[in-house]
Amino acid sequence: MNRNQKIKLSLFLFLLTVAVIFAIVFPRLTMPFGFSYIIYLISKPLTIRLTTGSKKQRLSYFLMILVASLFLVIPVVATLYNVDTDFVSFKTEISQAQKVLQDKFFAFKIKVFEEYGFKINIDPISFIMTKLEGLGSDLLGQFPNYLSVLFEWMLLVPLFLYFFFVESQDLSRDLLEAVPNPIFEKSYVLFSQFNTKFGEYIIAKFIEATILGTIVTLGLLVIGFPYAFILGLLAGITNILPYIGPILGVVPAILIAFLSKDPNVSMVGMLVVFSLANLIDMILVFPLLVSKIVNLHPVIVVVSIIIGSQLAGIVGMIVIIPFIAFFKLLFKEIYKDLSVHL
Amino acid sequence: MSYEKEMAEKLAKGESHADKLDISLLKYLWDASPVSYLTSKETYHDFFKKISVLSSFTDNEVRLFTKFLHRREFQANEVVFRQGDTGYGFYFIFAGAVNIYTNHNREANDQGDLVIKLEKRQYFGEMGLLEEFNRRTATAVAAENTILLGIFKPDLEQMLELHPVLGAKFLRETALIMANRMGQLTKEIVGLKKKIKEIEQRI
Repeated sequence: MNRNQKIKLSLFLFLLTVAVIFAIVFPRLTMPFGFSYIIYLISKPLTIRLTTGSKKQRLSYFLMILVASLFLVIPVVATLYNVDTDFVSFKTEISQAQKVLQDKFFAFKIKVFEEYGFKINIDPISFIMTKLEGLGSDLLGQFPNYLSVLFEWMLLVPLFLYFFFVESQDLSRDLLEAVPNPIFEKSYVLFSQFNTKFGEYIIAKFIEATILGTIVTLGLLVIGFPYAFILGLLAGITNILPYIGPILGVVPAILIAFLSKDPNVSMVGMLVVFSLANLIDMILVFPLLVSKIVNLHPVIVVVSIIIGSQLAGIVGMIVIIPFIAFFKLLFKEIYKDLSVHL
Repeated sequence: MSYEKEMAEKLAKGESHADKLDISLLKYLWDASPVSYLTSKETYHDFFKKISVLSSFTDNEVRLFTKFLHRREFQANEVVFRQGDTGYGFYFIFAGAVNIYTNHNREANDQGDLVIKLEKRQYFGEMGLLEEFNRRTATAVAAENTILLGIFKPDLEQMLELHPVLGAKFLRETALIMANRMGQLTKEIVGLKKKIKEIEQRI
C-alpha cells in the first residue's frame, strides 16, 4: 500500500469512527434512525413490487411512509385517549391482584403450618406489590418524557423513511466513493450481503411473529380465555427473541390464569394453545423461514442474546442475531481469502 | 410548433401532458445533446454509446445503466485486483489504461508476465460478475492514472430487481462478451495445437 492509499484508508477509518461515536452519543437520533431502517427493510419487497416498471415511484414511497406513520400514530393516540381510565383500572387491578395473591399465600401458609408445623413469617406478596405500584407511579411520572420522545419519533421516522426510500441509493453510492480501492470490492459486497441478510432476517421474524401471534389469539379465543388479542400480540412480539421469547410470552397468560376467579379460564387449555403455537413455530415456521438465513448454533444464539441485552437492551437482543450471522460470514470470507493467498 | 404552443393546445383539449420536470432526464438529455460535444469532457452516455457490446442499449437504458456504476480512480501502478482474489465486479476503462499480468507473485513483489494492455473503452473482469465463487485469473494494474467504471454483483442483483428488462439485456451482452472470449480462446488453442503438431513432426 502506497502513501496515498494509506492516507485515504486512515481518513476513511477516521470518518467511520466519528460516525460510530455520533451514533452512540446521540441515541435520540440513532434509535428512530434504526427503527426507520427496520421499517424500510420490512416494506422494501412490497415497495419494489409496487415500483418495478411503474412511473408512480414517489406515490408508492408516499403510501409506504403514510402506512408506517399511521402504525406509529394510532397507538400514541389510543394511549393518550385512554391514559386516565387505564391508570385507574391499573390501580384497581393491582389491588385486586394483591388481595387474591395474599389470600392464596395465606392459605398456603396455613397448609404448610398444618402439615409440617413450620410457620412462614415473610410476606413476599406485599413486597412485590409495593415494588409494582412504585414502578407504575414511576412510569406515570416519566409519562411526559415518553410522550415527548414519541412525538419526536412521529416527526423523525417519516423523515428518515423518506430518506431511505428516495435518497439512500444515491447517497450510499457517494459515500462508497470514499472507500479506498484495496478494500472497496470486498467491503461493498459484504456490506450488501449484510444488508440483504439483515433485511431477510427482520422480514422473516416479522412474519414468524405474525403467524405465532395469530395462532395464539385464535386459540385463546376458541377456549374463551380473556385478553386473547393482547396476549397474542405479546406472544408475537416476545417471539422475536429466540429461545427466551416463547417463555416470556406465556408468563402474562399464566399470571392471568392464576389470578382469575372465573371457572371458565383454563390454565391447561391456555398452556396447550401456547405449546401448540410454539410447536408449529418450531417444526414449520422457523425451519422454513428463519434458520436458513441465520444458521447459527443454539449456544451461540443464547450467548449473543445475553451480550445484545447487555449492550442495547431489548433492541440489542433482537438485532444482535443478524450481526453475529454477518460476522460469521465475514470470518468465512477472510478465512477463504487467507487460504488462497497462504 | 413550439413546446409552449403544443402544451397550451394539449391543455385546451384536456389531453395528458408531463405533470412534472424530471431533472435527471433533462440533465441526461443535455449531456447527450450535440451541444455537449463543444466541451471536451466526455459523458458516460458518449462513453457507453461507443462501446460496441452495449450498442443495443437505447438512450434511456444507457441512462439507467449508468446509475448502477461505481466510479473508481486509480493512480499509475495501483493494483485494481490481484490474481487469486475473490472477484465480484466487471470494469470498463473510462480513462487511462490497465495492464493485465499473470503468474503474479505477491511475496516476491513480482507483477509477473504482461498479457495485454487494455486501453480506454475496453473492459475486463466480467467473470467476477457472473461466477458465484470467482477467483481472479490475472492481476490488473493501472498503467497510468486511470478511471474505471465498475459494476458489481449487488448492483446486478438490484438492476434485475428494479429494471428486469435492462438487467436481462445487460446479462445477454455480458454473455456475448464471454462467448467472444471463448471464441478467441478456441482459436488460440487450435493455433497452439497446430504449432505443437508441427514441432512434433520436426522432431
